[in-house]
Amino acid sequence: MAYLQTLVNGIVLGALYACLAVGFSLVWGVLNIVNMLHGSLIVLGGYLTFFAWQGYGIYPLLALPVVALLLFALGYALQLAVINRVVSEPVLTTLTLTFGLDLILYNFMTVYYTATPRRVTLDLGAIDIGGIVMPVDRLFGMLLALVLTALLYLVMRRSRIGRAIVAVRMDSAAAALMGIRVNRIYAVTFGIGALMAGATGVIFAMVYPVTTNLAGIYLGKAFVVCVIGGLGSVPGALAGGIVLGVIESFAGQFFGPQHALTVGFVLMLVLLVVKPTGLTGIKGYE
Amino acid sequence: MHFTTTGYASAIILTAGIAVIAISPRLADAADVVKFGAPLALTGSLADEAKKQDVAWKMWLAKVNAAGGINVGGKKLKAELVEYDYQSDGQRAGQLAEKLITSDKVDFLLSPFGSGHTKIVATIAERYETPVVACAASSESVFDQNSKHLFGTLSPNAGMFGPMVKLFQEKLPTLKRVAVLGRDDVFPKAMAQGVSAAAKAAGLTVVYDQLYAVGTMDHSAALSAIKAGNPDWIYVTGYTQDLILVRKQMSDLGLKAPIVTMVAGPAYKEYIDGLGNLANGITSSSWWHQATSYKGVGVWPTTEDFYKEFLAKEKSDPDYVHASCAAAAVILQDAIERAGTTDKKKVRDELAKTDVTTFYGPVKFSANGMNQGRDLPIIQVQDKQIKVLAPADIKNGDLSLIK
Repeated sequence: MAYLQTLVNGIVLGALYACLAVGFSLVWGVLNIVNMLHGSLIVLGGYLTFFAWQGYGIYPLLALPVVALLLFALGYALQLAVINRVVSEPVLTTLTLTFGLDLILYNFMTVYYTATPRRVTLDLGAIDIGGIVMPVDRLFGMLLALVLTALLYLVMRRSRIGRAIVAVRMDSAAAALMGIRVNRIYAVTFGIGALMAGATGVIFAMVYPVTTNLAGIYLGKAFVVCVIGGLGSVPGALAGGIVLGVIESFAGQFFGPQHALTVGFVLMLVLLVVKPTGLTGIKGYE
Repeated sequence: MHFTTTGYASAIILTAGIAVIAISPRLADAADVVKFGAPLALTGSLADEAKKQDVAWKMWLAKVNAAGGINVGGKKLKAELVEYDYQSDGQRAGQLAEKLITSDKVDFLLSPFGSGHTKIVATIAERYETPVVACAASSESVFDQNSKHLFGTLSPNAGMFGPMVKLFQEKLPTLKRVAVLGRDDVFPKAMAQGVSAAAKAAGLTVVYDQLYAVGTMDHSAALSAIKAGNPDWIYVTGYTQDLILVRKQMSDLGLKAPIVTMVAGPAYKEYIDGLGNLANGITSSSWWHQATSYKGVGVWPTTEDFYKEFLAKEKSDPDYVHASCAAAAVILQDAIERAGTTDKKKVRDELAKTDVTTFYGPVKFSANGMNQGRDLPIIQVQDKQIKVLAPADIKNGDLSLIK
């Protein structure tokens, strides 16, 4: 029974991890950009949600589409105006650029919003099914994470823009020859990454305190999930997130909370050695 | 154009006059101000805490200068504060402390937030024999480095455990089982180990005693294990964002106990704001609370004076960081006035002799420079307000058990 509870805790946490990582994974996979901004974008989404809720009483779920679209616009504009200038440079250049942008965004938020932890105090309680407790807001976050991830998967597979993104990822020169405007696709992809970060921020605002102090932790988690799950693939991020969540949950129980994170990192290292493409084993050609 | 002799003379006098006017403020500056330097983490992860220090010091500065300045040997000198943002990067804090001393020529230093960064700045201050007063370092490991120029207004952590265990045993005679969960970090770890030892010494059973890693995003495993231990008292220590998450997850998982302590959760207003009703019933330790009523030296003669001015200016309650940092400035001012000079060595000697009461409480430095131990307030959130449960002389409420 205790194990079942641990498993449920792990799966719910894992879905949140997946949500956090999917946008990061997409940008890394398609643009070959390690987006250091990702954690701060999640926190920005959280702040927008918090202020909408505190100032105007708007429920996080209602704020979600607006926040996601705002973040998409921000991401699109950033890629088109700034990052595209260096997108074909080695990964260290783009990493440095996004690192710099992250410093600006992070400190902007710290100065204007202060790093004081805030929380959307909607306590929705928990569901108890046969002794297994599931917090409603986390469950809700999990459902939303699954829906968003599934939607993204469908967009990538079925829509013209999704196919264009995959084409650019496979061979950007060939894609350009086919008439795909590669720079636009880059911008759309980065926009989708930011959109997912914004949506994650909305979900997280209900579960975690909103503070810039957490931006680095989110980014670190996104890294681990991507390496475990496989880069650039939507199902990979989902698998990586859930595996990490479940492993951390059990490790916390067996080895104590002090070592739960260590076990996750060890798994990442092992995978890097034996299966560098990650669990899904594909490189994101959905 | 013809110049008469008088014309030449007046031209020279005019030029000389302009030169004197241009130079004199600089001369006046050097002699007529007391310069304080502060490396502050205004951006980065410690930004929130650094802003509190900034608010407290600026309040003190305005108050001192409005009264004409600091009385140095019968002459009133204006106080000046030079701040630099060290971006929460310890190494940079050290570099900026050095710059403050060597290039800005500050007379005294005020230290940044936290034990780690205080230690770095204190090393630099020691090298240049510049007195530094720390207001947010409570780990004794900072003060055992033989620094002759470091003084701190917080009392040692050790004073927080025994009185708390005793109080809870009195109020809940059936108290037997304690669970301790702490963040694996300098201050929280010391707190977790301290309370666990004190509980064992008082005959209680510690059913859970673990640390969680920095960066933990989920506490359900630890909390489920604590639930299985069925404790009467749950003691969690960490930083505000962790404590908010832990409290929330406790409620999600249906984990309850008659006494729940979170250090230093309720000492911060944002903890109570962030939790709403979930904050009710949570107990904590603090170094200071506005419910205290001290009278003493400095620009704020009583605790109430400080509290009222802070409330009027900031529209919120001060916490111990504000008070301790304002007190650090008050203590420095007091030492300068007693020394009657801004000479670093003489002021250091006066600081070491300090034995005064301020709005913040009594300040008397031990041989290592740390403020001497005293009974620290034990507080509880009741109906979203802070009540002081102990010590007896400042108490304004009784422990209410969580049902």
